[in-house]
Amino acid sequence: MKYIDQVRYLEGIIVEISDGAVSIDFKGRMGFLKIPMRMLITDYPLEIGQEVCLNMSYVEVVSPIPNGKYISNLDKKEVE
Amino acid sequence: MSLTIEQVEKFKKEVAVLCCRLKEGSIIDESHLEDPTILPELVDSGLLTIPKNCARIGQVIGAKLLKTLDALTPISSDVVEGIKEMDLSNEGITEDEIFDLDQKAVLKYNMKFGDVIKASDLENPMNFEKMEDSLLIKLSEKVLTRGEVIGKKLNKDTVALTPILPEMIEGYKATEKLETTPMDTNNGSILKIKIAEGKGIDIEIPMGGYIGHASTIINKEKMAEKPVEIPPKEIRRLTKKYFEIHNVIFGKETKIEGKTLYIRENIGEDALKVDKLVKEIKVDIIGPDRYKEYSETIMDVQPIATKEEGDKLGTGTTRVLDGVIMIVTGTDENGVQIGEFGSSEGILEENVMWGRPGAPDKGEILIKTEVVIKEHTNMERPGPLAAHKATDFITSEIREALKKLDEKLVSREEEFIQLRRPGKKKIVIVKEIMGQGAMHDNLILPIEPVGVIGGKPNVDLGNLPIVLSPLEILDGSIHALTCIGPASKECSRHYFREPLIIEALKDEEIDLCGVILVGSPQINSEKFYVSERVGMTVEAMDVDGAVVTTEGFGNNHIDFASHIEQIGMRDISVVGASFCAVQGALVVGNKYMTNMIDLNKTEEGIENEVLACNTLTGEDGLRILAMLKAIMNGEEVLAPERKWNPEVKENNLRLIGKN
Repeated sequence: MKYIDQVRYLEGIIVEISDGAVSIDFKGRMGFLKIPMRMLITDYPLEIGQEVCLNMSYVEVVSPIPNGKYISNLDKKEVE
Repeated sequence: MSLTIEQVEKFKKEVAVLCCRLKEGSIIDESHLEDPTILPELVDSGLLTIPKNCARIGQVIGAKLLKTLDALTPISSDVVEGIKEMDLSNEGITEDEIFDLDQKAVLKYNMKFGDVIKASDLENPMNFEKMEDSLLIKLSEKVLTRGEVIGKKLNKDTVALTPILPEMIEGYKATEKLETTPMDTNNGSILKIKIAEGKGIDIEIPMGGYIGHASTIINKEKMAEKPVEIPPKEIRRLTKKYFEIHNVIFGKETKIEGKTLYIRENIGEDALKVDKLVKEIKVDIIGPDRYKEYSETIMDVQPIATKEEGDKLGTGTTRVLDGVIMIVTGTDENGVQIGEFGSSEGILEENVMWGRPGAPDKGEILIKTEVVIKEHTNMERPGPLAAHKATDFITSEIREALKKLDEKLVSREEEFIQLRRPGKKKIVIVKEIMGQGAMHDNLILPIEPVGVIGGKPNVDLGNLPIVLSPLEILDGSIHALTCIGPASKECSRHYFREPLIIEALKDEEIDLCGVILVGSPQINSEKFYVSERVGMTVEAMDVDGAVVTTEGFGNNHIDFASHIEQIGMRDISVVGASFCAVQGALVVGNKYMTNMIDLNKTEEGIENEVLACNTLTGEDGLRILAMLKAIMNGEEVLAPERKWNPEVKENNLRLIGKN
């Protein structure tokens, strides 16, 4: 990575819960995140509206050239 | 954070840094010193610079500070009075530096039971003359030489300046003559034999008649460390009979003729009916010539196997098709992959780590189902299960054909014998399986190997620990609905060929008593609930050692750490194995997590899209068992480097290879 990987604190709200995943809206319209259950640590039974927090950094683009493998996977999905 | 007295002893050779402001004239004690384990972090971030003349913790305790210093200031030797002399020369001593091997061995430090004697633990022979003069030591003929004791283990706590005698060393082979007093015969009726010391002594005396001049034969060879060998006891055995398949084609009915498997053309239509969530099912036969084609994400890889009449999982005979396997793939009606996160869709050839225990082997024919389930059910519990049920409908029909095959067609057999080895170190394998819900679930103990019917989901069983025999695991007692990460997930076939269990069964130095399966629930309180039960189960087993393995990474590392704690706090040696590296680094830890095996196989240390890339392999199994045996024998595992370094694994493998 080119930029410093210093993490910063973010907060969000659980907006959707399924058996396998939770969706999170970041506060201040800073984005949306859907993660598998296993990536969520909780001391409490899950409910919509619960606040969550995490540390993360900025997302950085690795290369100017799109990866053909993922393009073909995406095309396949569109055909379906 | 300040140190405790115990830590001072442990860290005595580490650099001394103040953890709080200390005034001139104060006498330094453990409460003033910073924990040295956090210092590298501070040095890296530029908050701290350690000067060359920085004193060590062992040197400054009890010394007087000559000037007031702030917190987080290293104590250099010029700002303290009364610094203790400390020999730092033995840091990093290597085997090449061991000298005077024929000189007598005298301990320099207090040592404990089980400690391995190193050259640095012994007093320099050049001091012996002075010490003998001042009556500190007495070197008799019996005292062992340095060459004889280095690398040996003490069998009792021993204080400094003790010359080492043979009886202090574990399993020392007596080379000198044992002192046995001559036999005494009293009136020809009582035979008295007095032996001063020794064990495992064979005495043969002709019975009957006059004993007065009977001869005594002491077998010196057997003097040392040979306890009576109790032969291993067979508990059960499992035979896998393989039937070779070279060709899979669609036909009018499902049957096997010679080496050809026919699959009923319209089987998909009936498979649809098993669950109302299944909307469409496509069955495809993929031979090696089609490995280059696109495939939906692989949910599971399953063997096609069936039990012979009357046999239960884990015992008797299992018939297995060789050269063909089942692959479960699927999407929901909107085209969203069932394993939505980190899915492995793409060109099959590139997205499979061929030959891993849980993956297909190169050259195998794949019967691939593409199950389409109701929209939005891909992340709900019934969705993935429905895809598995529909696939198993097809496998079941093949199983029926396999049951009818003539015994003469068996191409090879594999025999697994579960032996208990009394007298060997008893170990248990704890396998943490996913239990957070949706596809994070496993059907335990179905009737057929990797079947569905009869299997109980571990989520419904409360994720509590369940004890299985190693052979039950190898016979397909886990139908894995498999978690999300393709690279680290353990497919059903992984358990059918579980490499750690196979290695542990083969290992004659250990006594594998069973396998504990424990689910990983979502909420922390539930995690600790099941973890405490793991502790109690392992306690009741009275084992010497345990291995805890987990699948992938995420919140399952919280219970993984807790299982290790629960076992470790019961004074049982424990090794943990998980994918960690960079991306899966542990989120929690405890003082028992010192013996860890990383299962990563990628160069970057991340979870990639290649199926089974980061799963446990036979080589990992050997590393795990080597580490467990080492710690059960009292050896210490070195602390890891601060950042993940793939070299550690390579070095360990080299060490195992040497032994």
